Amino acid sequence: MASLPRRALRLLVSLLIAAAALFPILFGLSSSFKPPPEIIRFPPSLLPAEPTWQNYQAIWQAGIGGFLGNSLLVSAATVTLCVLLGAPAAYALARYRFAGRLAAIILIVAVMSIPVASLLIPTYTLIADIGLMNTHVGLVLVYTAYQLPIVVWILAAYFQSLPEELEWSAMMDGYSRFQTLWRVVLPLSRPGLVAAVLFVVVFAWNDFVVAVTLLSSEEKRTLPIAIYNFLGFYGREWGPLLASAMVATVPILILFILLQRYFVAGMTGGGVKG
Amino acid sequence: MTAEATPSGAGIELRGIAKRYGESVALAGLDLRIEPGEFVSLLGPSGSGKTTTLHILAGLLAPDAGRIMIGGRDVTAVSPDQRGIAMVFQNYALYPHMTVARNLAFPLRSSGRNLGAAEITRRVATVAETLGIGHLLERYPREISGGQQQRVALGRAMVRDPGVFLLDEPLSNLDARLRLRMRHDLKALHLRLRSTIVYVTHDQSEAMSLSDRIAIYRSGELQQYAAPIEIYRRPANLFVANFMGDREMNIFEGEIVAEGAHPAFRAGALRLAFPEGGPWASFAGRKLALGVRPEGVLLGVRPDAVACQARLRLVEHAGAEQIFFAESEGAQFCGKAAPDLPLRPGETVPLSLLAAELYLFDMASGRALVHGGVPLP
Repeated sequence: MASLPRRALRLLVSLLIAAAALFPILFGLSSSFKPPPEIIRFPPSLLPAEPTWQNYQAIWQAGIGGFLGNSLLVSAATVTLCVLLGAPAAYALARYRFAGRLAAIILIVAVMSIPVASLLIPTYTLIADIGLMNTHVGLVLVYTAYQLPIVVWILAAYFQSLPEELEWSAMMDGYSRFQTLWRVVLPLSRPGLVAAVLFVVVFAWNDFVVAVTLLSSEEKRTLPIAIYNFLGFYGREWGPLLASAMVATVPILILFILLQRYFVAGMTGGGVKG
Repeated sequence: MTAEATPSGAGIELRGIAKRYGESVALAGLDLRIEPGEFVSLLGPSGSGKTTTLHILAGLLAPDAGRIMIGGRDVTAVSPDQRGIAMVFQNYALYPHMTVARNLAFPLRSSGRNLGAAEITRRVATVAETLGIGHLLERYPREISGGQQQRVALGRAMVRDPGVFLLDEPLSNLDARLRLRMRHDLKALHLRLRSTIVYVTHDQSEAMSLSDRIAIYRSGELQQYAAPIEIYRRPANLFVANFMGDREMNIFEGEIVAEGAHPAFRAGALRLAFPEGGPWASFAGRKLALGVRPEGVLLGVRPDAVACQARLRLVEHAGAEQIFFAESEGAQFCGKAAPDLPLRPGETVPLSLLAAELYLFDMASGRALVHGGVPLP
């Protein structure tokens, strides 16, 4: 254990870093409860003098509830699809020795490094050709395609760290490979699953460029596009903008706080001890 | 386990089993026959093919050649769950996310077995009682001790009444005391259940104390397959002789020279004159290894023994006896003495190598030529 001054110093540094990282968010949160004149007042106030819900009422009337619903729906569907497709693929890579396994692994890593923006135009043409423009299904399919490699990668690494005897034992007891994956491997892979899910959620929740390309009608929009449109809609009105940014940030923040424990374990690769 | 639920175990026959991993040969044409209800240990150093044999028996590995028969049925192409076997793994492979009760019930809940909840509960309770783990049913594996985990693993294998148990070094993760107790319990359990058990271990004393028969492996080849005492007293070759026994056999490499009417063994500067009679003279003129277990090396001058003078180097007290190490003409001897005999390192003592404890091996092939003073046919 470090000495007391050392620990105090360490705490101080941690607090400084936390303050630097959190200040913009907390200041935005505080400002979202200020009436518009107070937001642009100089010098700025740290806390709202007269807290008000008026910015939130404004974005609610502008239909943020519907956009929030769209974002939740698209993110949830993407996560579900990624896990349903990614887990069996990762399991095959982790446990089967087949011709082309190494090539498959290299391919998966390689495609992860392609920036999404460079895929935008071919993706657009493809989605248009199969008639899924301006649909949530199309958006979910594209998100899944983009995120599947990282999901497979994280899960395969995690599955490999599990003792294989658990699966042998289940198979000798009369369980099929799929049943073994479902009843033994996945329940033990919670940290890996959480890490993979968080990657997908953060991408699907925050994506702007793909959504703005594929979605055209207003009622289909996800939160990032809606926020962008508020920018134009309200001109220089910072109040509703800050309020909508808070609405977009809070669900992810809550998710991270809830799953934080598993996330760290999943990122450091998990050894399951009996 | 109820009497009607457990008939005696199934017999096993392996015919010409071969398996290679790339260039290295894991098993080279293994033939092994295990009688119903027999406790057989597969013994050998690591990488000798014993675990490969077990995995092939279990169906976790497919052999490159050969046939596997269990209970008179050819199961070479049958999936693991259809072979009527259960396996206990070295690390127990208990499901960490399930309670002991659910671990025990897991094999019974597989879709192929249509068992009612009441029947499952009844069977789990019976097995838990047999193994004395009834009070642990609601705990998770991480909340119970190593010995208890081991019992749960055994219980999970027992719960579906297999004809054959495959045990892969099940005691190696336990501390020494507990290992001895579990060894005893396992033996008692086998006597009660009379099911066939195939037991992989690299611990020769475990194999000796548990088995009806021991199969000794080396580099993918079966060296000897016999009852423990037979293997101990009549080892097929130098490797087996060395591998069995708590302490290594004393081995002297040299040759037999006939000096007049008395043949003697010469290893470097060491000369050991054989007593009258015996087969020794007939092995003159080839490279040999003379072997004698520590219990055949005694202090004092005895009849019907090879005698020599040696200097004591080291004495270990082992409770019921003393183990001494002595040197003569550059050769090292390890022998046993009564526990209360005053022995001082540095003093010169007369040694006797009992003729009835002498072994002779051919150096070129390693094959045994003489067992306990008696030549092999």
